[in-house]
This record gives sequence, structure tokens and C-alpha cells, in this order.
Amino acid sequence: MRRLRALEPLAWVGPAIVLIALVVLWPVIEMIRSSFLEISRLGVERGYTGFANYEKLFGEKDFADIMVRSVIWVVAVVVLTVLLSLALAQLFNQRFPLRKVARWALIAPWAASVLMTAIIFKWMLDPEVGVINQIRLKLGWIDAMGGAAADQLGDASTAMPWLVFVAVFVSVPFTTYALLAGLATIPADVYEAARMDGAGRLRTYWSITLPLLRPALTVAALINVMNVFNSFPIIWAMTHGQPGYSTATSTILMYILKGSDIGESAAMSVVNFGMVIVLTVIFLRVSRWNKEVT
Amino acid sequence: MNIKLVSGAALGLATMLVLSSCGSGGSGGGDDTQASGGGAVTLKMVAADYGDGPGKPNSGETFWKGVVDEFQAANPNIKVEVQVINWNDIDKQVATMIQNGQVPDILQTGDYSGFVADKLLYKVDEVLSPNVSGDMLQKFADFGKVDGAAYGIPFVSSARALFYNKDLFEKAGIAEPPKTWDELKAAAEKLKGAGVTQPFGLPLGQEEAQAESFLWMLGNGGGYKDASGKWSINSPQNVETFTYVKGLVDAGLTTPNPGTKDRKTVWEDFGAGKVGMVNGGPMSIPIFDAAGLKNYGVAPIPGKAGPLDTTLGVMDWIMAFNKNGHAAEIKKFFDFFYTGNAAQKISDTYKLLPVTNGGIEKLSSDEKLKPFLDALPNASFYPFQDPKWAEVNPAIKQTIGGAVKDDPAKVLGELQKTAEAAG
Repeated sequence: MRRLRALEPLAWVGPAIVLIALVVLWPVIEMIRSSFLEISRLGVERGYTGFANYEKLFGEKDFADIMVRSVIWVVAVVVLTVLLSLALAQLFNQRFPLRKVARWALIAPWAASVLMTAIIFKWMLDPEVGVINQIRLKLGWIDAMGGAAADQLGDASTAMPWLVFVAVFVSVPFTTYALLAGLATIPADVYEAARMDGAGRLRTYWSITLPLLRPALTVAALINVMNVFNSFPIIWAMTHGQPGYSTATSTILMYILKGSDIGESAAMSVVNFGMVIVLTVIFLRVSRWNKEVT
Repeated sequence: MNIKLVSGAALGLATMLVLSSCGSGGSGGGDDTQASGGGAVTLKMVAADYGDGPGKPNSGETFWKGVVDEFQAANPNIKVEVQVINWNDIDKQVATMIQNGQVPDILQTGDYSGFVADKLLYKVDEVLSPNVSGDMLQKFADFGKVDGAAYGIPFVSSARALFYNKDLFEKAGIAEPPKTWDELKAAAEKLKGAGVTQPFGLPLGQEEAQAESFLWMLGNGGGYKDASGKWSINSPQNVETFTYVKGLVDAGLTTPNPGTKDRKTVWEDFGAGKVGMVNGGPMSIPIFDAAGLKNYGVAPIPGKAGPLDTTLGVMDWIMAFNKNGHAAEIKKFFDFFYTGNAAQKISDTYKLLPVTNGGIEKLSSDEKLKPFLDALPNASFYPFQDPKWAEVNPAIKQTIGGAVKDDPAKVLGELQKTAEAAG
């Protein structure tokens, strides 16, 4: 009986453990196993091939460029998102007329499907009829519709900034709300004390708001790092990673490879998985998340 | 305490039951396919949807229901269950069925060759009567063979030709559609002068870059493989072809940044009157109609020295799997399908071309389909029977657009390397 009682906690956490094992651990194991298999494109397994899938992947001409681009993509999107969200959170923390409406409006890009948002932006950037190009034409920034100048998604140098813009656009709402929640937890008396000590606005923000906001900031940024690294629909819907692979990240490459070689695609997934872990560890080191605020 | 423990365990057990039942939810339908001899046999068929999807009047479900009802009335002992899947998902879903051992009896989709190596298919003569297979266009039937044995039965086909906007041609003062590359360039320059933003629509983006590229290669006697069956993606002819196309792109005579444009977008632009000429097929006619374009013509595709005497042919296939051993019943169904009016109905509904001599004869009075029907018997095809094609094709889709932006020889050389790589 006593032994049974010792097992009781297991009955409570058991379902959760089973769930995690089934939907998290098992797919990870299966993914790693697949990366060492030769698999026909119809799904018939043809046995182990050792590291052949990895050798083929690392031998891809565009592999190095794609990995570098993936890191730049994550850093650019997350940094811009966090900076913008810090400002927006500060704004939305103030009292102003119609604040409720403004807060609701901010939810829209978050509530809308990312794929839908990406497709809408692609349409707005259409070289023949897109509304953004109509505006640019009216402003005299381009001479005519339909030409190469109006086709910003057709070239990596102009497509990349738009992709980053859309990624920031869909990431800002969540980040802002996370930071807004963080701001709400900072007690008013700390600010009062600062004012008594004669601290200016900048000084207060730097020495009080930011340090106390750090837990919220860390969580928000970390979730963004993982989300953005794995982000697929924006790039896929807007450029397919084209021209060539010049707007592709490693997630896009993984999907493209799935059409030709499932084993190599699994190897790319494993590399992606490792990258997310490495990025997360670096991020946590840099932000010293578990150190107490002093 | 005991009660708590029991209820906790029960909860855990219930969770596991729910989870495991999720995993096997899809297997319910397969039981009656194994009906033993004597009684009725159920054939399980999986087919691609040529229509606008479920619920639409031209949906695959509606089409197949009509065929099956008629067949079952004539063969009360055979039941046919058709599952229609859209083109985006059919390959992945069939792969899943095969992995799980839920192999259908009949499959109708875009390729058969991948199943042959794993010995999953009946040979054609086991499931099709000689008088039916004898009526197939010889060239098509030949592409259904792997190492001399036929496994794939041609189902429907399509071919390509040049569409041109007659109103824009008149506005630009062009009398007739171009026949050679020089004439094409001259026409494109006139169109450009008349304010047409995309004189030649050039979709070299991911959707179907392999088709547009192939049509251009054919114009210069090139192709993906040479006459001896060796990969020749970076042959001198192909490099010359792409250098010429790059010239058009650089002069602003085509869709901008062709390497990022899908054929659907370009066809829609043609339908909207923004494009002067574009390569298309019977399946683009509904898109042009929907966009409201009426006054367009169809002509053979221009080549370097003269119009192409061949064109890209694309075939879809129907095949029979041997796992459930229903060869005799499948044969009845296939014979019924090809000798009845079902094949004709597909062409009428979806503007797809027939694969039998008889079918082509029946359609030859259709003015809009005629150029395509004429081109069919001499069509050229992708080298899809080569297992390497499965890997080369995605690489072409992704990168061949670079050949009209950067150095053609270098881009085609990389693709050739992919094709020649071992494994």
C-alpha cells in the first residue's frame, strides 16, 4: 500500500509525460533516425546509409550561404521586433484616449493567419497591380508598373527587407503584449523612490524599467528567436526562397529537399534542431537570464 | 487515498486510449476490401482532382460517381470506392497509404514509375484488354514502360502552344504570330513600344520552370537529355538558348525577374491583357476565359530557325496495384473506362486531351483544341522514367531562373552536376 502511495504522483504526471513522449520525444527520435536512412520518394525505407545524407547536405552549393542567411534573418527580425515592441509597450502603458481601441487594433496582425498576411503582402507588392506599387508610382518613385523596378520581390536585395518587415509585423503584437504585462508588474513605489532621488526619465528607464523588465524581455525574445528561426510561411508564400536560393533560410531548404530526398531533408531538420538549441544557449548566456537583478 | 489513485490511473489510461485511437483512426475503411471469393469485390481507387475542388460542379467526386454508377449497374458484383485527393496532397497521402500497408487497387495520378522498382504494380497486359491498349497513342504507351515492360496506362495528356493577344498584336502593328526567335524578338520590341509591360510572359519560377525551360530548349534542338539518353542540360545548344532568352530579359521584353514568377501568375496577367505572348496549354484556356480575355490566338511555339515541330507533352497515368490481387475486376473496370464515354467526358469537362486514337478523332472538330491535338503525336516528354529526374526536377524549379539572370553556362552546369551525381 505504501509503495502504491509512493507511485501516486506518477498517476498525476503520467498523462503529461505520456503526452510529451508521444508528441515531442518520439518525433525527435524518428527525425534523427530518418536522417540516417535512405528513403525512396514514395516512402519506402531502403536501409541505413550512415552519414551519407549529411555529406550530401553539407556538399550542397548553397548550404553555407543559407545557414549564414538564417542567422542574419533571426537576428534582424528579433532585434527589430524587440526594439519596436519596447517602444510600443511603453506607449500603450500610458493613459490616452481610445487606448483600449488601440490595444485591440494591435492584436489584428497576431490574430490573422501568418500565411494570409504573407499572401496579402505579396499581392500588395504585385508588379502589375499591387497597391504598394500604385502608391510608389503616384509618388514618382518608379516610372511605370510592370517593370523590374516595380518587382521588389523578384530580387533578393529588395525582397529580403520586405520579408523581414512582414516577419516583424506579425511578431510585434505578441512581443508588445508580453512586455506590456512585464511593465504592469513593476511596482509604482520604485518609480516614486527614483523620483525622490532625482533620477531623470532616461536614467529611470535605463536603471529601473529595463532591469525589472528583463524576465519578460528574455522570455519574449527567446520565443521570438525560436519562432523566427522556424518561420516558414512568410518566405514560402512570398518568394519560395527564390530567385535561386537567395532568399531561402534553412527551414525553406528543408522543405525543398523533402521533394527530392527525404533522408537529406531529415538531416537538414536535425541541423536545424541543433541550431535552435545553440541559438537558445547563446541567447541565454548573453542575457544571463538566471542571474538575480541587483 | 485509494480512490484518488484509481481515478488518477484511470485518467492516465483514458489519455493513452484517446491518443492511441487517434493514431489508428484512418484504418477503418480498409476491412471490406479483402472480401473473399464468391461474393462482391470492392475495388479501392484513389484519384487526383482535375476540378475546382470538393463541392464544385466539376469536382472529381462528381465525375467519378457518374462513372462508377454506370459501371456498377453493368457489373453488380464489383463495387468501386473512389477517394479523390487534390494534386498538392495526393503524392504524400499515397506514400502514407503504402507505408501503412493500405495500398489501393487503382491509382490515378501524375507518375507511375516510382512504384515499379518496389514491384507494387500489375503489368498493363494483366489488367487491360489488347484491343484497348492497341488504341493508345503508341508514343504515349511507350512512356508507360520501364525496362521494356509496361506498367503505366496513359490516362489524359496535355500539350503546349503559343498564345498571343490579338488586340495587343494589332495595336503594335504585328501581322501574324512569330515563327522564329528573331521574329519573336522583333514582335516583343514592337509590343514594348506599344506600352505592353510584359511582351513575352516568361514563368521560370518554382511552379513549372521545367516546362517553360524545356519549350525553349526544344526550339534549338536541345533538351534535358541528348539522343543517346545522357543528361545534356548544359549542352552548347542549351547554353545558346538561355543566352538568347537572357538577352530578352535584359532588354525588358519579358516578365521581370522570370526566375521568381509562377505560371499561374503569368497566365492571369495574360488574361488581364498585360502580356503579349505566352506559352500555355488547353488548361490555361479556362483561366483566360475567367479573366475575360476573348480575342487571343493559338500558334506553334517559335524556335530558333522556325516553328517547333514538337512540343512538351505531359501525361497523367492510371495504374493497378497487385497487393490485393483483384486483377480480373480491375481489368473489367479499365476496359469499361476506356471503351465507354468516360474519357471523352474528361476532355469535355477539364480541357484535357485524350490518349487514344479514337479519342483524338472525336475531338478533332474543336477549334481551340486542334493545335494541341495536332501536336500530340509528335510531343516530347520530360525524362521522368530516369529515377534521377525526381531530384533534378526540384533543382530545375528552384534555380534555372538564374540562367537568364546570371551566367547561363554556370547555372546549367550546376544542374548538370546534380543530374550526373551518383546515387
